[in-house]
Amino acid sequence: MTAPLEHVLALALVLFAMGAFCALARRNLIMILLGVEIMLNACSIALVGASLKWQSLDGQAFTLFLMALTAAEASVGLALFVHARKRAGTLDSGGFSSMKG
Amino acid sequence: MKTLAFLTLAPPLLGGLILIATGRSLPRRTCEVLACGAILASFAAALTAWITFPGGREVLTLAKWFSAGPVTASVDVLIDPLSLIMAVMVTFVSSIIHVHSVWYMRGEEGYVRFFCYMNLFVFSMLTIVLADNLLFLFLGWEGVGFCSFALIGHWYQDSFRGHAGQKAFILTRIGDVAFVAAMAILVTNMGTLSISTIDERVITLSANGALVLGLLFLFAATGKSAQLPLLVWLPDAMAGPTPVSALIHAATMVTAGVYLLMRLFPLLAISPDTMLAVAVVGGLTAFWGCLAAMSQRDIKRILAWSTISQVGYMLLALGAGDITGSMFHLLCHAFFKSLLFLAAGCVIQVLHEEQDVLGMGGFLRKARPEIFWLFLIGALDLASIPPTAGFFSKGRVLESVLAHPGLAYRLLFILAAAGAVITSFYTFRLMFLAFAGEPAKPFTHHAAVLPAGMARVLWPLAVLALIAGALNLPAWAQSAWTGNGWLEHALATVPGVAPPEHGSHGNTAELIDLGAGIFGFALAWLLYAPSRRPGVQALVSREDGPLGMFRGGLGLDALYRMVFAKPYQALSGVLWKGVDWGMVDGAVMGAGSAFAWASRMVRPLANGKLTVYLTMLVAGLAVLAAVLAGGMR
Repeated sequence: MTAPLEHVLALALVLFAMGAFCALARRNLIMILLGVEIMLNACSIALVGASLKWQSLDGQAFTLFLMALTAAEASVGLALFVHARKRAGTLDSGGFSSMKG
Repeated sequence: MKTLAFLTLAPPLLGGLILIATGRSLPRRTCEVLACGAILASFAAALTAWITFPGGREVLTLAKWFSAGPVTASVDVLIDPLSLIMAVMVTFVSSIIHVHSVWYMRGEEGYVRFFCYMNLFVFSMLTIVLADNLLFLFLGWEGVGFCSFALIGHWYQDSFRGHAGQKAFILTRIGDVAFVAAMAILVTNMGTLSISTIDERVITLSANGALVLGLLFLFAATGKSAQLPLLVWLPDAMAGPTPVSALIHAATMVTAGVYLLMRLFPLLAISPDTMLAVAVVGGLTAFWGCLAAMSQRDIKRILAWSTISQVGYMLLALGAGDITGSMFHLLCHAFFKSLLFLAAGCVIQVLHEEQDVLGMGGFLRKARPEIFWLFLIGALDLASIPPTAGFFSKGRVLESVLAHPGLAYRLLFILAAAGAVITSFYTFRLMFLAFAGEPAKPFTHHAAVLPAGMARVLWPLAVLALIAGALNLPAWAQSAWTGNGWLEHALATVPGVAPPEHGSHGNTAELIDLGAGIFGFALAWLLYAPSRRPGVQALVSREDGPLGMFRGGLGLDALYRMVFAKPYQALSGVLWKGVDWGMVDGAVMGAGSAFAWASRMVRPLANGKLTVYLTMLVAGLAVLAAVLAGGMR
């Protein structure tokens, strides 16, 4: 038996909202990146569910690409954070305000 | 004939172009020989054409130019006695002036520029003289204007000379506007710009059309010929080198306007109102010029005003319907006025650039008798003392005005006769002041030594100024051995030339002419003869006081300054400070500061807090998604 699409979508929605909240509310850059990752995974769940519902492989293929993308994003993002930590001495998002208006 | 016409036109153009291209790298002597040679070649060609001309009228197409709609413009020349005589006169006088200027400009640096413009000037003038197509003629018309501008401002380092050139250019341009307008009317009404065709088709014009065209061409001529109301540029044009004044402002260019009206005479003649307008402009200018000439102290300005006045006499004769008389006076005037100007140039150089007649005195006559004699011959012409050419030509002008019916012409005759008295008066005033008695300023240096050729080359002009009256003797002076009215016969085939109307008046006009000359001399004798002249101080105060009242040209300059220049200046001030600074600059700067203000307003949003940016991003995406979702439904 398969889970109904509504359930899958509800799970994806809850995950997305939690990820977004994490990305917006936390000030630590790593936590923000974490939030973004969760949001992306919520999207993946929604795609897989939709793929199952309409019996089409497109959504699953897309999810594979999304996984590669998330991995790349995490590695680039973390490398940038290391660099930013070296420069500014902090990982607090409020510490990078040299371009404020 | 075609070859000769080409050979008349081409050498000055070629000479000018070669001087433009290579003049600076050629030795000075080569430049001078090139410039003079070009004009002499042109003179030889014109003379040959005139001698071999079988008579009648010929239109020759030298080259195609362009054709657009109804306008066909080609390089056409119109060969008839009028144009040939004019061409011979122009090239002859120009040759002498060119040779004279080789000496006159001997110490000058800008000689390449000078000779180049002189050559181009002669080319443009010949274009006016020979052209059949009015557009081709206009090319020359503008060419002489430009060369005149460049030559008046030859010593442009003195700003007033440059300004005098600009003034001449702008004032003649005002007349040119009328020329262009007249050409436009001709194209729309007659579909042609060829003078010979216009002469044939002139009867198809309505009376009003002919009047408008005639007045427009008259206005164009007043610009070029320095007549009322556009005469004010000529006295200032004396800022140029003296040979330029002789060439452009005495012999050739100022007569171009009169010549144009002669060419278009059939067009003028069908409307009596136009003819009257021509005569009135001529008569008034003749008188106006006399009055102003009487008050001048600068020798060149005296001659300039007298030129204006004499050109007025030519127009007066034309307005009385007498092309022959007008042409006669034009020819004689060209000879004696260029003689006067060139001699005046010698006087000025002998006296180390002294131009004030009160500063000359009898010293010059004793030191340089040749110049005195040359000047005297010219002066006798100007004052119309027999048997000089000027006497016969001015007599002819007076005669044709007297013979013309109508009250207006009677009044003009009185004006012209009074003008003749004043002309004689100011001429002898000039002679007495410049060549006799004590100068107002004592000399501190010797008379400068001039090259001998400088004065000697003027003798052909002087001889012609003496005997050119024989070209067209009045009826009472004709006999078996003096010939009879050669010019009359030569011009008989030119359209519009009518046989003279004299007869009823006998030789009244000539007697009045003679009387005017003698009366003017007597007046000048009373006021200026060395024995009767007051002391130096009294003389200067008299000249600057009561007799100097017309020095400003009877206030025409001041009037133009008040009516045109001052309002224009005020308007420019308003446009500059009000419109340009206030409105245009204000709008641009206002738009800039509005954007600067708006950006200051939104700047606090970019507060450097990453969380806030992310929130805004998500909110924006949410709104976008909501809109998209709404659109899908």
